[in-house]
Amino acid sequence: MHAPRRLAPIALGTAALFLLAGCSGGNSANTDDAEQSGGSLVIDTAFSIETTDPGHTYDPTGNMVAKALYETLVDFEGSDVTTPVPGLASWEQNDDATEFTFTLEDGRTFSDGSEITADDVVFSLQRIQGMVEAKPNFLLTGLTVEKIDDSTVSITSETPLLQLPAILANPALGIVNADVVEENGGATDGSDSAQSYLDGESAGSGPFILDTLDLTSQVVLTKNPEYTGDEEPAYDRVVIRNVTESATQLINLQGGDTMVAMDLNGDQVEGLDDGFTVDSVPSGQTIFLLLNQSPDVAGELANVDLSEAVRYALDYDALLELAGAGATQATGVIPTGFEGALEEGVTQDLDRATAALEASGYDGQTLRLQFPNDYPVGGVEFTPLAERIQAQLAEIGLNVELAPAPFATELDAYVGGTEGFGLWFWGPDYADSANFLPFAPGLKVGLRAGWDASANPEIADLAAAAASATDVDERTEDFTAFAEAMQESGPFVPLIVPGRNIATADSVTGAVYNSVWDVDIAEITPAG
Amino acid sequence: MTTGTTSPAPARAGARRYRARSPLARYLVRRAGTSVLLLVGVTIVTFTLTNLVPGDPVSAALGEGAAQNPETREAFIRSRGLDQPFVVQYLLYMGNLLRGDLGTSLVTGRAVTTDLATAVPATVEIAIAAIVVSLAVSIVLGTLAAYRRGLVTDQVVRVVTLVGLSVPTFWLALVSFYIFFLQLRIAPGSGRISPSITPPPRVTGFYTIDYLLNGDGVGFLDAAAHLALPVLVLSLVTIGLLTRFIRTSVLEVLASDYVRAARAKGLSGARVVLDYVLRGASLPILTVVGVAFGALLSGTVLVESVFSWPGLGTYAYNSASNLDLPGIMGVGLVVGVIYLVINFVVDLLYGVLDPRVRLA
Amino acid sequence: MSTDNRTDALASAGRRTRLRWPRAWRSPLGIVGAVIAIAWVIVAFTASWWVPFEPNAQVLPRLQEPGVDTLLGTDGTGRDIFSRLMTGATVTIPLALMLVVAAMVIGTVVGAVAGYFGRWVDETLMRITDLVMAFPTVILAMVIAASLGPSLFNAVIAAIVVSWPQYARVTRSLVLGLRGQNYVIAGRLLGRSPLTSLTVDILPNIVGPMLVLATLDIGAAILLLSGLSFLGLGAQPPTAEWGSMISWAIQNFDAWWLGVFPGLAILTVVAAFNFLGDALRDILDPTGEVAHENQADRAASATGAAA
Repeated sequence: MHAPRRLAPIALGTAALFLLAGCSGGNSANTDDAEQSGGSLVIDTAFSIETTDPGHTYDPTGNMVAKALYETLVDFEGSDVTTPVPGLASWEQNDDATEFTFTLEDGRTFSDGSEITADDVVFSLQRIQGMVEAKPNFLLTGLTVEKIDDSTVSITSETPLLQLPAILANPALGIVNADVVEENGGATDGSDSAQSYLDGESAGSGPFILDTLDLTSQVVLTKNPEYTGDEEPAYDRVVIRNVTESATQLINLQGGDTMVAMDLNGDQVEGLDDGFTVDSVPSGQTIFLLLNQSPDVAGELANVDLSEAVRYALDYDALLELAGAGATQATGVIPTGFEGALEEGVTQDLDRATAALEASGYDGQTLRLQFPNDYPVGGVEFTPLAERIQAQLAEIGLNVELAPAPFATELDAYVGGTEGFGLWFWGPDYADSANFLPFAPGLKVGLRAGWDASANPEIADLAAAAASATDVDERTEDFTAFAEAMQESGPFVPLIVPGRNIATADSVTGAVYNSVWDVDIAEITPAG
Repeated sequence: MTTGTTSPAPARAGARRYRARSPLARYLVRRAGTSVLLLVGVTIVTFTLTNLVPGDPVSAALGEGAAQNPETREAFIRSRGLDQPFVVQYLLYMGNLLRGDLGTSLVTGRAVTTDLATAVPATVEIAIAAIVVSLAVSIVLGTLAAYRRGLVTDQVVRVVTLVGLSVPTFWLALVSFYIFFLQLRIAPGSGRISPSITPPPRVTGFYTIDYLLNGDGVGFLDAAAHLALPVLVLSLVTIGLLTRFIRTSVLEVLASDYVRAARAKGLSGARVVLDYVLRGASLPILTVVGVAFGALLSGTVLVESVFSWPGLGTYAYNSASNLDLPGIMGVGLVVGVIYLVINFVVDLLYGVLDPRVRLA
Repeated sequence: MSTDNRTDALASAGRRTRLRWPRAWRSPLGIVGAVIAIAWVIVAFTASWWVPFEPNAQVLPRLQEPGVDTLLGTDGTGRDIFSRLMTGATVTIPLALMLVVAAMVIGTVVGAVAGYFGRWVDETLMRITDLVMAFPTVILAMVIAASLGPSLFNAVIAAIVVSWPQYARVTRSLVLGLRGQNYVIAGRLLGRSPLTSLTVDILPNIVGPMLVLATLDIGAAILLLSGLSFLGLGAQPPTAEWGSMISWAIQNFDAWWLGVFPGLAILTVVAAFNFLGDALRDILDPTGEVAHENQADRAASATGAAA
């Protein structure tokens, strides 16, 4: 009888000990965090980054990191992307907007202490011009970059280019240290091989230098000790973590593990209690449906009647509900706020939808809706959205089967134009409505829907007219006409412009959304 | 589960001519042979599965984008011998394997071997901690239940272990993360360490040990605290498995003559438990640890991703959700090998410890 | 539990040929398990007729807390969780039962053939069995499901592939024991073909233990299927499936009801089958638990430390 009685307390004691060890361990570590985090800033975002070489970068995360590591000739202030301000250089331009002269600011240095000269600027831009395959290459097509003297550079354009300063503010056009990059394979003749070097170390003049880059988990930046600009960073170390799910970002933010969450949706932001600050702006991204017009892909359903059926079958308010606060209905392929955007979006009209469905020759087939399921845009998850679209289309008798796939897998099908029915998104590269012309037949996005120029020459002409307009009022009219025609007879169904919400803990301040580089990390400082 | 091979090899009549050598050596050789055969089998399984993929195997291995480049395509087909007969393909696969080439992950863009080299220590660290915790807890619970057989304590332990075996671990991980991190704020967040802390210089790959070797107390506490929640969640299933088994083993020992004698001599309960009962039950417990390890490795796939623990489980999860075949096969292969090695070691220990094998 | 233990226990149970079913009802745990399990099975086969909402109908306000109108609340797209939960049973439970039966049939056939014919047939089949068992189950199932492509059907296939070997092992050892029995030998001497001998003399004695093993396996099958769906390799949207419901609950972490209820559903149904299986094992395991307990009884009374 003795043994069992004595054993029980031993057992309980041991079990209690384990629980204590677990809990107290957690406690002590949490206090440690609080003490340590003075020097570190932690940012959670869903990675789109592919490299830290500015010459190859062209995605939101990559631009944000490039903005922290490199400086550009021209800058924007805060979230205003319509008024370029001097960055590394101030500029003058001729009346035709074809010749621009940039004068470098005195006394600016790279992270190795060497001075920034006109040679560095010319090398940086010509390097990108040389790399035909590089993503930001198209930003500089038709431009000639020349050195005038050690602190002056001229850039000339074949055609009038009013938006050139705005383009030069893109972090992809950051100025690199020519000597260092050339030593590591850099070249302007297209044979450049410096990317792998620049993925390991930075060679710029930005407020931060690159510590480590891991494309799947995190990017670590440290303060640039040689920084000479006016955005002196407040943190010694910045950790940008890849957190692909917005819900996890929310948890990390609420739990105090991270200070800035980049991809929260409207619902999640509304659920945040005191102790957090949110910067909400329309994102400029448009989530849309595409219906392929190529008979090879869509068979006999390759017609715009089906698009019309879908366009009028949807209940946009109900879809918008899923996107939460800050999101608006997409009124057309040009989002509200951009030149030529339509005032009113489509409203549900089931009769019209049913008629169009009949005209399309639809006969009970099941359409596969293909979409990326791991890439929330502005915090909007595609899977619930697709589920709701499926449910709404079922009401006019259109059968939809969901075919979710990882972004990386599905992207090829989308870009290759092999999706019959897809749910995707499109955002501007810089703040100009010309960024939405690719939806036209025969252009980039149009071709992804199997829509070549011959399919609708009228819309193709409208797009061409808008692209070459020089008079401001005329240009706006052209864009409006283009947007209207797309809503009338295009293969796209614009759905939602999600809000962009940057949520920060109250312990930091200064995280302001900018559509070109998301957030300027150097502007984030401890509160108070 | 290789439990079929964990029992000591029965001395076969046909093996009589090896009598001169020690039975232990004979046992070890036999067991090692089985393991090598199984190892080859494991590679055949992963190889076959790689070739099972419906659709284009080149696209599956390289990703649609890269597969469209005819040169890359051609090079890949040649290096894997995809135009050769099945057996040749397998031999090429084995050759690549022996050179440590498991292909390139579509998700990370790195060699799968490189990825696994950082993921394996992270998972092994969790697995060892979980085995230690669950052994400690289940020895206590199992012994208690055996002593109190049929009483309320026994029934409670039985219900607890059965429920432990019934809980979906991924759900438990979420719930505990929600409660302890988000609501109570007593557990640290996801990952192996807090983001503000720098990882230790790599020696063993186990953060806790590396921090200690580096004399970094803050780092050690942080790493240990991050271990706590995933380890406790993972332990629950293994506790369920082990407790039942330990209870049975202890009951068996309790019925043996030497324990009865010890108790009759009037030795204290605790001494009998430690010196006689647990020592007597240690061999059967050892064998079931191998099985528990299998359950643990299965569990990591479902649990790690919830805690963003950068181990095999998260890697498998990311590979699976991105349909990254080279990554998934790499995990399958490595886990298969780890599991084999563990069961082999368990059997070796068994052979060394079991007097029937050692002294026969 | 170690498979070997189970094998031995069931093997001897098989030899005893008579199952003492009524004793199951003496175990309160077994009764609780049976009641819950039967309740879930009834739900699984009738739910589609009585759930208040169509499981994919998005007709309710989003993220509504559990209350009077919606018993367990609504999810992020305004679907009724209670209806989805019950519909989830119609997906998971029949599939789990089906996969267990399939694994049992395959395993029994393989094990019986291996055990009865012995020699190289046995050697080959058992090495294949060892091979499948050389992987932890979830890992192998995940690898198979991923290479077949994500779908519920493929997840079931993967689960069958990893589940059959244990049945093969147990059957083989049962057959090995039965093969030498006098009545089997007599049957062979009377001129029965191996096939007849196997089906007429041996298989009937295996059915009982196999059913018990299957009961013990249902819980594991449900955990495996929902785990694969959690990983995204099983049920695809918008299918109401418990594992994927939990996976999506992460999106709305603050809405606790999204994830808690599907988890509890899995927990209760798996625990129910485990309780039931555990009670059955006690009864059918005269050499295992029961024998130990008798011995321990004797030991206890011998030392005067009666429990």
